[in-house]
Amino acid sequence: MNRVVLIETAFVVVTIVLAVLVAVRAELTRARGGKVFAFLALFILPVLAVWGGFSEQMQRSTSTQFCLSCHVMTDFGRSLYVNDPSYVPARHFQNNFVPRDHACFTCHTDYTMFGDYRAKWRGVHHVLVEYFGTVPKPVDIKLYSPYNNRECLHCHLGARRYEEASEHHKDPAMLAQAASNQLSCMSSNCHDIVHDVDTLKDASFWSPSK
Amino acid sequence: MPTIERRIRWSGLLIGAGLVVQLLSLLKIHPLAFVTFLLVGCPLVGAGVLLYLYSLVAHGHGALSPRP
Repeated sequence: MNRVVLIETAFVVVTIVLAVLVAVRAELTRARGGKVFAFLALFILPVLAVWGGFSEQMQRSTSTQFCLSCHVMTDFGRSLYVNDPSYVPARHFQNNFVPRDHACFTCHTDYTMFGDYRAKWRGVHHVLVEYFGTVPKPVDIKLYSPYNNRECLHCHLGARRYEEASEHHKDPAMLAQAASNQLSCMSSNCHDIVHDVDTLKDASFWSPSK
Repeated sequence: MPTIERRIRWSGLLIGAGLVVQLLSLLKIHPLAFVTFLLVGCPLVGAGVLLYLYSLVAHGHGALSPRP
């Protein structure tokens, strides 16, 4: 348990104790001091505790561990360890192009003003489907809309390796088209091998401990 | 027990219950913990806080009413 969670936990425990104390001894609120105490215990502290908890839960929900908790995501997690750099997610994950403990979120959030919240809302929907709906097979899981180059260019745009790659200059307009999302980075014969979970049974896997 | 104290008691219990749910949801990093926090913990605490505020407003309104 990290320090922030420890502090958050202690804060919540103290708030619970104070709230229950006010509940059990409601007559305390007859005195002026009791009124102030109740205001703290039943308004200020609970609001702060929930705000802290929400912040912690939002942070946790961006972790790779969180995304891979659902059984249906297992193959997508395995695809990060494929021993083949043509798999785009595996290449990013294994070379630390994305933080490993936030790998899913880094690529699957929208880099827009409310992108994080939209991603969370989709995530809540996924959880409801996991527990109360019909879970699709991993191979049937598709993106809601074609992957937007904006998410790739959030990191790659302006990078020398991206700007100067000879493959990116086969057509003089290629970079401009990619920037405007007219030409997908995942077009055929470009970066078109992504998770491809249906191919995993024949793949070999990288083991970080080696 | 006066109405305001009864409401404050319920408010404290709701807040306590909501925060216990929040505490439990912090034990594990799991989507179910996130959803439990969001759909159970937050509404309980919210209901408790709103009930407390309502009890203050209702009591204040009663105190301001002209006595017969």
